[in-house]
Amino acid sequence: MALVPNMPQVWRQETKPHKFCPGCGHGLVLKTLGECIDELGIQDRVIFGCDIGCSLLSYDFFNVDTVQTHHGRTTPVLTGIKRARPDRICIAYMGDGGGYAIGSQHLVNAASRNEKITVLLANNCNYGMTGGQMAPTTLPGMKTETSPYGRDVEQTGNPTQGPEMVAAITPENAYVARGTIANLRQLKRMIKKALETQINGVGFSFVEALSACPTNWRTNAKDTWHFVEKEMTQYFKVGEKKVPPEKEEQ
Amino acid sequence: MTTRIIEAYIGEYASGKSEVAINRALDLLQKGSPVTLVDLDIVEPFYTIRPLKKELEEKGLQVIGWETSETKGLGEAGNLLKPGMKWALRQKGDIVLDIGYGVEGAKTLNLVEEKENHPELKIYAVINIGRPITSDKEGIINYVQGLGPVHGLINNSHLGDETDVAFIEEGAQIVSEAANVLGLKVIATTIDYRLQDKFGTQDSLGNPIRLLYRYMDRSFW
Amino acid sequence: MTDKPVKGVKRFFVTGNEVVAWAALAAEADIMYGYPITPQNEIMHYWTRLAPKYGRKFLQTEDEISAGFTTCGGVLSGARAFTATAGPGNTLMQEAMSMAEMMSIPTVVAVMQRGGPSTATVIYSQQEVTMTCFGGNGEGLRIVYSTGSHQELYDYTIKAFNTAWKYRIPTFILGDGYQAKMREPVIMYDPAEKGINMVPTEKILGAPGMPGVDRDPQHLQNTYNTEEELYEVVNQLVERYWKAAPEIVEHEEFQCQDAETIIVAHGVVTRAAQAAVDELRAQGKKVGHFRPITLRPFPKEAMKKAIQNAKEIIVVESAQGQLDKIVKSEIYEAKVPITGYFRPGMGITAEEIVEFINQRG
Repeated sequence: MALVPNMPQVWRQETKPHKFCPGCGHGLVLKTLGECIDELGIQDRVIFGCDIGCSLLSYDFFNVDTVQTHHGRTTPVLTGIKRARPDRICIAYMGDGGGYAIGSQHLVNAASRNEKITVLLANNCNYGMTGGQMAPTTLPGMKTETSPYGRDVEQTGNPTQGPEMVAAITPENAYVARGTIANLRQLKRMIKKALETQINGVGFSFVEALSACPTNWRTNAKDTWHFVEKEMTQYFKVGEKKVPPEKEEQ
Repeated sequence: MTTRIIEAYIGEYASGKSEVAINRALDLLQKGSPVTLVDLDIVEPFYTIRPLKKELEEKGLQVIGWETSETKGLGEAGNLLKPGMKWALRQKGDIVLDIGYGVEGAKTLNLVEEKENHPELKIYAVINIGRPITSDKEGIINYVQGLGPVHGLINNSHLGDETDVAFIEEGAQIVSEAANVLGLKVIATTIDYRLQDKFGTQDSLGNPIRLLYRYMDRSFW
Repeated sequence: MTDKPVKGVKRFFVTGNEVVAWAALAAEADIMYGYPITPQNEIMHYWTRLAPKYGRKFLQTEDEISAGFTTCGGVLSGARAFTATAGPGNTLMQEAMSMAEMMSIPTVVAVMQRGGPSTATVIYSQQEVTMTCFGGNGEGLRIVYSTGSHQELYDYTIKAFNTAWKYRIPTFILGDGYQAKMREPVIMYDPAEKGINMVPTEKILGAPGMPGVDRDPQHLQNTYNTEEELYEVVNQLVERYWKAAPEIVEHEEFQCQDAETIIVAHGVVTRAAQAAVDELRAQGKKVGHFRPITLRPFPKEAMKKAIQNAKEIIVVESAQGQLDKIVKSEIYEAKVPITGYFRPGMGITAEEIVEFINQRG
C-alpha cells in the first residue's frame, strides 16, 4: 500500500507535489493555512489571493477560488472583493517584498480602515523571485544581490517590523501576530484566530510567518533552521501582538 | 581503479561556466562511465542548461535540472531548486556541476548535501579576461579570493565571434599570472573548436587545451 | 580622487544590463535609484557592486513609484541620476515621468521591455513603446532612444544623460529583455576619449546663495489654477520640445533609395530586418529598411524622404501595432499602403520577415 502523505483536504491534489524549492517555508505556511480552512469548514467561502514573487506559485494550490494579482496589490484586490461580497472569507497571501515594500501603503491603509480581511505574509528576508535582492526584512549585514557588501543599516534602515507596525495602527478588535515555521502548532493557532477574527466580522487580521529560503540563503538544512530559529528571531519577535477582546457571552 | 571526477564550475556572470561545464561533461562521457550534469544556476534564469536538457540527455548525459514545461512564471517566481540537485553527489560515475554567479560565490554549493563524503570534489573558477571585472591580474585575484574555496582556474577568455588566437593567449598569460599569485593551477585553456588547428594540445604557457563546441548560444530560455 | 571606471577604449564581452551600468558609470552618473524587476536586475546588481568603488551612490526604493520620484528628486538636486525598470515597473514609473515632463526634470530611465499586459513574462517584447513614449497624463514630451545592440546601449546611455540635461527633457533608453540578457562584445570607452563632454548638471534646487537675498528662491510647481494658465505652460513646453526635436531625431536607412517595399522596425528587430533586406535583395526584390532610433520625437522628415519611391510599407514589431500606430500618424500624408507583421511578446527572425514578404508576392 502506498504511503499517502497527510494533506489538508482543501489542498488540490492534482497540483502536488507543490512547485516550491525543497526546504522552502511556503509549503509549511500553506499546509498550516489548509488545516485551518479544513477545521473551520470554510472552503466554500474562501477567496484566496496571491501576490507576485514566489507566493504566486500558490495560485493553484488549494481547491478554493484564487486570484493571482500584481506585485503588492493583493491586499486591495481582496479588500475590493470583501467590500462587495462581505460573506466571503478573503485571504491575501504575499511575501515580505509585496507586503512591506511595494504594497506597504495598502497594508497600512487596509489595517487603518480595519478591513475585514486576513493578510498572511511569509517573511524570508529577501526577494526570492528575482534572484535574491535585498528586501525590507533583510537582516543587518546580510549579503544579497543588491547589498553585495552586506546590508548597511545606516544607508538602508533596519528590518521592517511588520506586525508591530500593524498592531500600532489597527483598532483594538484587530488580530495581529508573528508566527514561525519553526513552531507550526503556534502558527496554526495564530492563523485560525486571524480567520476567526474575519469570520466574526470584528476586524482586520494579520499574521507574519517567519519562513525559509535556503535557495537564496545558500544554506543546507541545518543552517536553514539555525537562521530561522536563531538569527531571524533576533530581529523578529514571535508572538501575538494584538488580540481582539473576548466577546461577552449572551 | 581511478577515482571518479566531481567538478564544480563557478565564475563571474557570463564568464562561460555553463558552456565549459557542458563540454566537460560530454568529454567525460567518452570514457564510457556514466556522467551527470547538474544545473545549479539559480540566479540567472535566461542562459541556462534548461532548454538543452533533452538534447544533452539524448547524447547520453544524465541532466539534473528543470525543463521549461515544469516551471511557472520563470524569473518572476524565482529560480527554484529541484530536489534532485540537493542529492546530486549520490549519482554514480562522474559529476559536473554548473554553479551560477551571485554575491555568495561558491556558497551555492552549500545547497548540495553530503559534500564532506566526497573529498574528490574540485571547484574550478572560469575566467574570461573579456569580462570587465576580471580583465586584469588584480581583478582576477580579487574576484577569486571572494569566491571561497577554489582548486583551479580555467582560462575561458573570448569575445564571442570576435575571438582570435592573440586574445586567448593574452588570457592564458593573465590568468596564469593570477593563478601564480593565488597558488592555483590553470586547469585548462578553452578554445572554440573552430580554432583548433591554430593550437596544439597546449597553449603557449603549457596549459592543456580543451575544445569547446557551442551549445549555449541556442539556449536562450 | 577615485579612478575613472572606464579608461581609454577597450573591448569586453558582456550582457546588455551590465553595459548600461558601465555606461552610466562612464557618463559620470552620480546615483541610481531602483527596485528589483526582471529583466533589468543586473543593471542594479552591477551598479551596486561597482558604484562604491567609484564614489557613486545607490538607493533601493520600496517600489517603482518611489524609484521614479526619488530619481526626480536626485535630478532636482543637481545629481546625474537615473533608474531602470521594465513592464509593470514602467507602468508605476509613469506617474513620476509625468511630473518630469511637466516640470522639465531631466531624468534618465533605462527600460528593458518584457511581455505584457500585466505581469505576463519577464522575457521580451516591444510592448512598452506606447507607454514609454506617451505614458502618464500628458503630451508625450519625452525622448526615447530605441537601441538594437550592446554597442548602442553603451553609446545611447551616455548620450541620454547629455540629451536630457541639454534640453531638460526626460529621456529613456528603450531596450528589451533580449538585449538585457544577450552576451556580445562591446567597445567601452571613456566619453572624453571620443570627444564627448558630459553636459554639466545644475542644482535646480539647493543652488548656492541665500534664497531671497542672493538669488530668487525656486518655487517649482505643477499645479495651475485656470485653463488659460495651464494652456500657456503646456504651450511653452510643447513649443520648446518641437524646437529641439530636429536636433534630437535619429534614424538609420538600409537600401531605401530604390526600394518598393520598405520594412519599418525598431530596437532589436532591426537586426532581423537588416538581414531580411540582404536576403530579399539577393532574391532580386527591391526591399529596404527604415529604422527610427528615436521613437519620440519620431524622425518624420527622414522617413518621408526614405519612402518616396516605396509602393508599400511593412511595419514589423514584437507588439500588436504600437510602432504601427506611430508610423501611421507620422506619415499620414504619404498615402503608401501599410501592412503590419505583429508578434506581441515574441522574437522575430529574418526568416520570418522574408517568408511574410514573399508570401504576399
